[in-house]
Amino acid sequence: MSSPTDVTAPVAPATHQASVRRHAARGARATKARVLATIGGFGVLAILTCLLAPLVGSTHISLLRAFDRTIPFADNVDAQIFFIARLPRVLAGALVGAGLASAGVVFQALLRNPLADPFTLGVSGGASVGAMLAISFGLSLSVGPLSPVPLATLSGAAGAAFLVYRLATTAGRAMSTSVLLLAGVTLNAFFSAVIMLLQYVSSFTEVYRAMRWLMGDLDIGGFTPVIAALPLMAIAFVLIAFLPSALNQLSVGSDAAASRGVDVARVQRIAFVSASLATSGSVSLAGPIGFVGIVVPHLVRLIVGVDHRVVLPASALFGAAFLVGCDLAARTLFSPVEIPLGIVTAMIGGPFFLWLLVRRG
Amino acid sequence: MPLSAQHVSYTYTSRRGAPSFALRDVGLAIERGSLTGLLGPNGCGKTTLLRLLAGIVQPHAGTVTLDGRALGSLSRRAVARRIAVVPQETHPAFDYTAIEMVLMGRHPHLGSFALEGPQDVDIAHDAMASTGTDHLADRAYMTLSGGEKQRVIIASALAQQPDVLLLDEPTASLDLGYQMEIASLLQRLNRERSVTMVMATHDLNLAASICDTVVLMREGRIQAHGATGDVLDGDAVKRLYGVEADVRFHRDAGHLVVVPVGRAR
Amino acid sequence: MAARASRITVVIAALCVASLHGSSSQGTAPPARAPQRIVSLVPALTEMLFAIGAGPQVVGVSSYDAFPPQVKTLPRVGALLDPDTERILALRPDLVITYGSQSNAEAQFARAGIRTYSYRHGGIATILESLRELAALTGRRADGDRIAGDLQARFDAVRARVRGRPRPRTVLVFEHDSGTLRSMFVSGGIGFLHDMLEIAGGNDVFADVKRESVQPSVETLISRAPDVIVEIRANPPPNVDAERRAWLTLTTVPAVKNGRVHFLAGEYLVVPGPRVAQGVEAFARALHPDAFR
Repeated sequence: MSSPTDVTAPVAPATHQASVRRHAARGARATKARVLATIGGFGVLAILTCLLAPLVGSTHISLLRAFDRTIPFADNVDAQIFFIARLPRVLAGALVGAGLASAGVVFQALLRNPLADPFTLGVSGGASVGAMLAISFGLSLSVGPLSPVPLATLSGAAGAAFLVYRLATTAGRAMSTSVLLLAGVTLNAFFSAVIMLLQYVSSFTEVYRAMRWLMGDLDIGGFTPVIAALPLMAIAFVLIAFLPSALNQLSVGSDAAASRGVDVARVQRIAFVSASLATSGSVSLAGPIGFVGIVVPHLVRLIVGVDHRVVLPASALFGAAFLVGCDLAARTLFSPVEIPLGIVTAMIGGPFFLWLLVRRG
Repeated sequence: MPLSAQHVSYTYTSRRGAPSFALRDVGLAIERGSLTGLLGPNGCGKTTLLRLLAGIVQPHAGTVTLDGRALGSLSRRAVARRIAVVPQETHPAFDYTAIEMVLMGRHPHLGSFALEGPQDVDIAHDAMASTGTDHLADRAYMTLSGGEKQRVIIASALAQQPDVLLLDEPTASLDLGYQMEIASLLQRLNRERSVTMVMATHDLNLAASICDTVVLMREGRIQAHGATGDVLDGDAVKRLYGVEADVRFHRDAGHLVVVPVGRAR
Repeated sequence: MAARASRITVVIAALCVASLHGSSSQGTAPPARAPQRIVSLVPALTEMLFAIGAGPQVVGVSSYDAFPPQVKTLPRVGALLDPDTERILALRPDLVITYGSQSNAEAQFARAGIRTYSYRHGGIATILESLRELAALTGRRADGDRIAGDLQARFDAVRARVRGRPRPRTVLVFEHDSGTLRSMFVSGGIGFLHDMLEIAGGNDVFADVKRESVQPSVETLISRAPDVIVEIRANPPPNVDAERRAWLTLTTVPAVKNGRVHFLAGEYLVVPGPRVAQGVEAFARALHPDAFR
């Protein structure tokens, strides 16, 4: 029985063939073996990157000396460079990379839009306002391991997320994705205006410092900032772990998901809260680093398909490796001058998206 | 009675805060094994009723019961194992393959972290075979034609192994050829697999051709409910749509046909 | 006879005045006499004006001016990003001191026939040059030379005191997040801070980076191992102990190991103006305490 022409015109043969090839190459679906193999593969990549990155840097160090227990740590320059300058940086990079990448995946599913990223809903705008307030007004309030600027950043991010949540939620009902998007875009615009105002009233050095913060920076110089961000990130990752199957359903449609037994309102709330937590924690640690949350999920989907049960863990792991790699480039390419991390991710992300666009067309 | 609604009301709050009734004191009982058509003009509440019957939304008054138990008292998974929905349009945000779309129907039978096993895959392929889409399994859903897409979605609903299938305008965006295809598919599924079906539709001829029962709705209320032959006539069409129509049995087609002849005066 | 004498006097006077407007090529047509109403958007140059005795002619200052105390009562006219041209024009100035990048404002003043002098950022040599130029512009050459001479003498005095002593490898930190070492900005190999350090007998550890400010990573700080760390700020930090503790993690850095982390506070340290000699002396005291006993 031949198919007559239809309202939805058939796809041009070339793209159809390419689609068949792509899908055949990806294999069918998420079998247990495939999932484990994929996670294993990306896991190995992430671990290898994290193991190798601290070995490389702008200064030459001797690993033998660094791990030589006979030299007291307080005198061991190589050890201090390895354990104070590099290792925390790599760990922070892995945490932030995983956080931003998985937040990106979750927001893309929640908003049913592959172009969403962790900053679409205003979290980074709020974070930036917090950071700028701390920098411009020289705030010096610390809470435990959280020093002033990360604390202010976290507060700003949390405030923004809370605002968006309240705007988009009605008790017991599903969130409207269009209201979510609108609220986020509006808040971002508002925060941009506030940031401009703060820059206007700040002194030159304060403005410069704020600008540099906005470009992202992983040079934390110790494990304290990582420890400060860890509880938040841990909660976020645990919550995110419950989402993949529901995100598949949600990304087809919320009524469709509901008719398949998904508690849509609850899943949306968990998705929003977990992704916002991961984003807030990441931004408080390293500033708003762009492109990770959108490039990594797309790259991963090209390799493993679109099933969130594979995409989510793979993105987290690949995000970790990706950001650690970008930071490595940032701190070694033009040493002793470091390129801000956000510039490196943008330099990679921009052309990548251009390529995606060309490929699709 | 597998699925029924008693004194169900549902209101939407308009922008100015004034409530407007989408459904007003609606009562309905769906016979097991029937193929029921929900007919009525735009805004009559068909889609809302369908969503209430599926348990996607809760009524503001009254109850919807499944085998005597209120839908609200059952877990959503439990409801989903019995009732499946074929929405009017499906626009997945990501590039899933057809088999991935169908396998999503297995969700109510799996746990939160479970992956589909070989049994689930077999069920999915069966469902696709029964809608004539098994050869499309590894194709990207978004590259399929309209008719193929709709048949894949029906397959995904069948993969849920439901007792009741609710369909919202299943042939709305399809051409005549696909309309006939889907119509005969639904009829076959209803007869061969004893799937109870409720179908909201504009297409009076579709309802006339395959539905054994019709429910006529207007402005949130049920006007009539009964066997198609008894209920669907020229007066009914005039009351619902304000259109003069000739409703008669067509010998070659083997069922009633509705021919509009002009606007009612 | 008296009439001709007075005419000659006028001609000589005119010639004298004309000769005063030799040096600077800044601004539009030279005024007939030294400026009587000066508005300054640049704090460093405001300080210079007061130092050379042109203080009474200053009628408006920037939002950031704080020294000398007389400026506190003067009207504020904005700064680098937001010069209030309306307010400035309302003060009827005949000379406005602007930043080099404020070309829009300068064009406005030029259209109003008001002379402008543009600030140039640079090292100590530039400070002394600017001083002399302002002195020429305001008809106070002698005062300008005197002040410049004083500064130069003070620099020479410091150089003499620290001559022959080993020059410690020094980092000059002027910015970082409070309580941590993040977002650190230090002086690079060019600029007045670098020059001050050199005069004070220190070797700038980042002299190889030809920029005014450098943002070093923790790794770079550890590997460059400075002998002395000098933190400078306009205002003292609320909690010096917290700042000191932040450095304590880098125990291999000689400056930390030997307790040679200094915290200096004061406007004079960060303004490239006539108080620069005070800053140089402060640095020298921190770097070579034994030379000042």
